[in-house]
Amino acid sequence: MTAVAPTHPPGLWRRLRPRVLSLTGILIGTVFLAPYAVMLLDALRPAADVLQSPPTLLPRHWQLSTFGDVLADLRFRSWLTTSVIVAVTSTAIVIAAAVPAAYVTARHRFPGRTAFLLLVLVTQLFSPTSLVVGLYREFFQLNLVNTYLAIILTNAAFNLAFAVWILHGFFASVPKEVEEAAELDGCSRPRTVLRVMLPLIRPGIVTAVIFSFIAAWNEYVVALTLMQDDSKKPLNVGINAYVTGYEQHWDQMFAASLLAIVPVVVLFVMIEKHLVGGLTAGSVK
Amino acid sequence: MVSAPDLVRVAAPGPPAETARHRAGTPRRRQRAMGRAALWWLSPALLLIGGVVIYPAIELIDASFGRYSITGLRLGPAGDANYTNVLAHPATPAVLTNTLVWVVAVVVPTILLSLALAQFLSLEFAGRRIVRWAVLVPWAASLVITSRLFTLLFDYYHGILNRLLLALHVVGRPVDWLGDDRFTMLSIVTVGVFVTVPFTTYVLLAGLNAIPEEVYEAARIDGAGWWQTYRHVTLPLLRPALLVAAVLNIIYVFNSFPVVYTLNDRNPGFSHDTSITFMYKLAFKSADHDVGMAAAAGVMNVALILVAVVIYLRLVDWRKDHS
Amino acid sequence: MRPQHRWALVAGALALSLGLAACSGGTGAGTAGSGNGDPVKEIKVVIAEMSKDHTAAFWNAFAKTYQRRTGVKLKVQIISWNDVDQQTSTMVQNGNPPDILNLNAYASYAKDGLLYDSDEVLPDRTKADILDAFVKSGTYKNKLYGFPDLSSVRALFYNKKLFAKAGVAHPPRTWDEFVTTAKKITALGDGTVGYAQPLGPEEAQAEFSIWLFNNGGDWKSHGRWSINSPKNVQTLRFLKDLSVKHKVTQNNPGKTNRTDGAFPLFQHGKAGMVVGFGPLQAALDSDYPDVDYGIAPMPSSGGGPPQTYGVTDYLMAFKKAGNRDAVRKFYELYYSPDQINTWIKAEGFLPVTKSGLKVFASDPSLEVYLDTLPNVHLTPTDDPTWDKVKIAVQQNLGEAVASDGDPQKVLDRLQQMAESGG
Repeated sequence: MTAVAPTHPPGLWRRLRPRVLSLTGILIGTVFLAPYAVMLLDALRPAADVLQSPPTLLPRHWQLSTFGDVLADLRFRSWLTTSVIVAVTSTAIVIAAAVPAAYVTARHRFPGRTAFLLLVLVTQLFSPTSLVVGLYREFFQLNLVNTYLAIILTNAAFNLAFAVWILHGFFASVPKEVEEAAELDGCSRPRTVLRVMLPLIRPGIVTAVIFSFIAAWNEYVVALTLMQDDSKKPLNVGINAYVTGYEQHWDQMFAASLLAIVPVVVLFVMIEKHLVGGLTAGSVK
Repeated sequence: MVSAPDLVRVAAPGPPAETARHRAGTPRRRQRAMGRAALWWLSPALLLIGGVVIYPAIELIDASFGRYSITGLRLGPAGDANYTNVLAHPATPAVLTNTLVWVVAVVVPTILLSLALAQFLSLEFAGRRIVRWAVLVPWAASLVITSRLFTLLFDYYHGILNRLLLALHVVGRPVDWLGDDRFTMLSIVTVGVFVTVPFTTYVLLAGLNAIPEEVYEAARIDGAGWWQTYRHVTLPLLRPALLVAAVLNIIYVFNSFPVVYTLNDRNPGFSHDTSITFMYKLAFKSADHDVGMAAAAGVMNVALILVAVVIYLRLVDWRKDHS
Repeated sequence: MRPQHRWALVAGALALSLGLAACSGGTGAGTAGSGNGDPVKEIKVVIAEMSKDHTAAFWNAFAKTYQRRTGVKLKVQIISWNDVDQQTSTMVQNGNPPDILNLNAYASYAKDGLLYDSDEVLPDRTKADILDAFVKSGTYKNKLYGFPDLSSVRALFYNKKLFAKAGVAHPPRTWDEFVTTAKKITALGDGTVGYAQPLGPEEAQAEFSIWLFNNGGDWKSHGRWSINSPKNVQTLRFLKDLSVKHKVTQNNPGKTNRTDGAFPLFQHGKAGMVVGFGPLQAALDSDYPDVDYGIAPMPSSGGGPPQTYGVTDYLMAFKKAGNRDAVRKFYELYYSPDQINTWIKAEGFLPVTKSGLKVFASDPSLEVYLDTLPNVHLTPTDDPTWDKVKIAVQQNLGEAVASDGDPQKVLDRLQQMAESGG
């Protein structure tokens, strides 16, 4: 979608505009990537060089084997597997729970509607750090400590609010006529939601998916507390092993961290095109 | 001028206005039907919340009224001693001030920057996809890792930032970004903004993408300039997305732990702590080492953020319908 | 069903949650108890992670051996040092401590009656084998609760090349010599620092300890706290002067930690001296061959015999129903020479037993440490109040050495805190 264009652009601006925009884009991209570029360079030098003073941007000695070493590390692989399982499953649960809740609060009045929305908001007010002891106790009672189910459910519950709120806004904006037309066609309400409305609010779904996935992927304190076997720790927790008070493998830690970013970016690239479309499917993007 | 909300009912939370003419069934029967069935639609969410958040929240409140040994063993009831101890703690005033500064200094610039960035990313230009991916990265990386990275970058001796500033002759000697009390908060806030902008940008981008082209066409036909259009068309239509972004940002920034804790890790005392890191330190890293006190601080934190959010929602009049 | 009934269901679900919370007020399946009951089939040990390569490897192998020998499963949970406090507290709060816990303090747990003592779970010959200094520091109210797992000793590391360049003939033996030496090295310029001083929250108590022992001071004296004794105040003032008056330290010592502050400066040849220990030596040998370093005893304030400061961590055992036998077998296996000394060697630390001393004596690079180990000064870990005092020291000492810091006031505060029981 083009932004609001000036009504009569002068010829010079029209010629320069694409260049200026791309240049600005490069600048912005650089700002956001710069620290991680430093991380990459640190992953490509021996750990001993990372904390040298004065520091050098480019490594004095290049060490290219770190990424391979980390990928071959069995501990790393099991952490990665855990992260994938937890993030994918909890995201699926979030969407499955948020879609019906957002639909019904957005498009129907019923007693308790506002209360539900506020309840959902209130759940976000609690910092996971405060709740972790209670979570541990609850899952311990249910004999679910050290299980994937425990952190999957926890992540799903904590990320529900965002999904509900953002889907709520999108559901509210679907014109009434759409729903009524489907009803006249004989669709039941669930079917209407699934078949007719969901495609229209794809951007909202995609945003909720990205948010839930990243939040679950990067969650730390609950996973740290509930997952006790080393192989069941997610990446974010397991990576701590690389830098302890006694041995600091910064190169491996940074390599592992960069590798951890890759699945998120891959997911994003795959679903990015759905960030647009839906209600505005006809517009130029 | 045709007002956009008439075309598209993207408004604050609320079902689309129904007129009797358009409804298929009789009004009362449909509403009643939904009243019963609504529960089914809400039940997965309610189960998750009830099971996973309510229970530990109750535990937290319960813990705040307990007397604990340094080991974590519960010794008995404490009455309201934990609450008074937290309120009377010498560090509490500074912590509260820090928290206010932290939240405002991160949320406000984040919203402003994200508005601009979302607008920019909705333009067409070569390489847009790559820039979008780049903006995603600080969000995709874990806060713990990013914070540790910045601890290295800000270091007095081995930090690349000082090296760069010295080489560019911006400063004459290295700056102690994390240790010098004048700069600590600035450094922490910068990282806070850096990691919050991507998420906010994408929320606003989703909101921007929901605005149909016709609305802008209408504005252009009416002869509106770009600033007028932005103020009177885009921003109002972005309201729901802005609301979500602002409220969630206030909450997440307030509750944010890794950024403040990691960057402040080398500093003794509590002078740069926010209420969440203070709560953690009360439990494990202070001479108090008292989980009962920390639980009381946790409950008070929830009350604090609740008040802040309610005030904010009142201020922006969140239920205001646009039509 | 009428609407009211539906909402009653919701209320019921929430009430169920409340009920679960209320009724679970006590402890879970793993109750701290007398140790009696049916023998358990599995026990859990929590180990603080020393290194990525050795900790997990050793303990997983240990668990296999243990299971083979006893038929009891040993679950190993490895936690980073940063998180072990929080995790332990969470477990204890929920009445579910591990069977064996590796931590650097034990006395508070003993005071709460949570631990087995040596009579109950430690083989007699093991207790006799543990070095006396560690037995003393592990004993609370005349019972040994804190069983040491490994130890380390601090010494003064110095950069021979920088010394030669600055014209310093030998490592300083008195505090005055120390200041002169540091000044000469700082004068070399180019960002060189005479002494890298970590008084940040990571291990401020260790840095302070090693200096105060060498000024004839102590944390406790004749059973009473002596934190703000005149000698200790003098020591802290000396440490403050190093950075504020003599300017021989790196920037902001009160906010510098060892691992990412003081040690890297020494490892990259930017610091003339630093207080180091085994792991630093190992790192220097393997990763920083450019640094030609020497190890010397600490300088003492008046030139008297140097005092050494040491640290040991503990493997304590929690009383839980039916686990006494399994726990005893754990210690039997751990303290058998081919287990304990293997791990200590792998991680680069020092032995805790007399027999271990003999095993390690064959390594000449450890001579400097092993000689001092039996007479090492330890912090008063046998006093539960120390657990709080240590944290208070870590959190507050850095403030005392800032340019506007007041050593007397800070130590007075700590003394007051210690005397009131923490």
